Amino acid sequence: MPATENKSAPLKKSITFISRAAPYGSNNPHLCLDMALACAVFEQDVNYVFLNDGVYQLLRNQKGASIESKTIGNVFETLELYGIDSVCVDEESLSQRGLRVEDLVIDVKLLSRQAIATLLHRSDCVFNL
Amino acid sequence: MSSLHTISRSPSSLLFESCCTLLQDGDGVLFIEDGIYYSTQQDQARPSLPEIKLYCLREDAIARGMLERKSADIETIDYQGFVQLCCEYDKVISWF
Repeated sequence: MPATENKSAPLKKSITFISRAAPYGSNNPHLCLDMALACAVFEQDVNYVFLNDGVYQLLRNQKGASIESKTIGNVFETLELYGIDSVCVDEESLSQRGLRVEDLVIDVKLLSRQAIATLLHRSDCVFNL
Repeated sequence: MSSLHTISRSPSSLLFESCCTLLQDGDGVLFIEDGIYYSTQQDQARPSLPEIKLYCLREDAIARGMLERKSADIETIDYQGFVQLCCEYDKVISWF
């Protein structure tokens, strides 16, 4: 039996999640979020990026109850509670859709495509859905 | 024969653009589900279609926080209105 006190510190990886789907149309936004929260619980270094239609997940005034769904926008407030501070939005995806940061439910970092590319490059692992 | 076209994917699908090339006077286009995101003004200039009516489904717009953002030329209908439209037009063509 190996002595547990000799175990090295758990491996910490930098994991980036890219959420690209609009809310309600598919289950992908929820799956992506669940994975990220699970990783955060295990003290991984998590980045969360909203790209393309994924930015619609952050719109204010969503009311999922209208179509008997959970409102996804509110859920993102939990990211911070789970220690996920790196929440980013692709600037271009936002402006292409006529949206501004004021239209979003949480504070996010606006990143250029180039900055996102760099983030992905730096990450040990990337999940993209 | 008039048709009601339903669009159920977001603008990144280019469904509406595909649909537009096949529209006839007297047709209607209804945005449902993620098609709701087509209903803002910011979206790429809609082709000027003379006799086409545009609708969006109220419940789907509310869920997505898009009711306030939709452009004025799009009529909002509820599920009952949806059923009524299905009866008013000769047929329904679904784009998904």
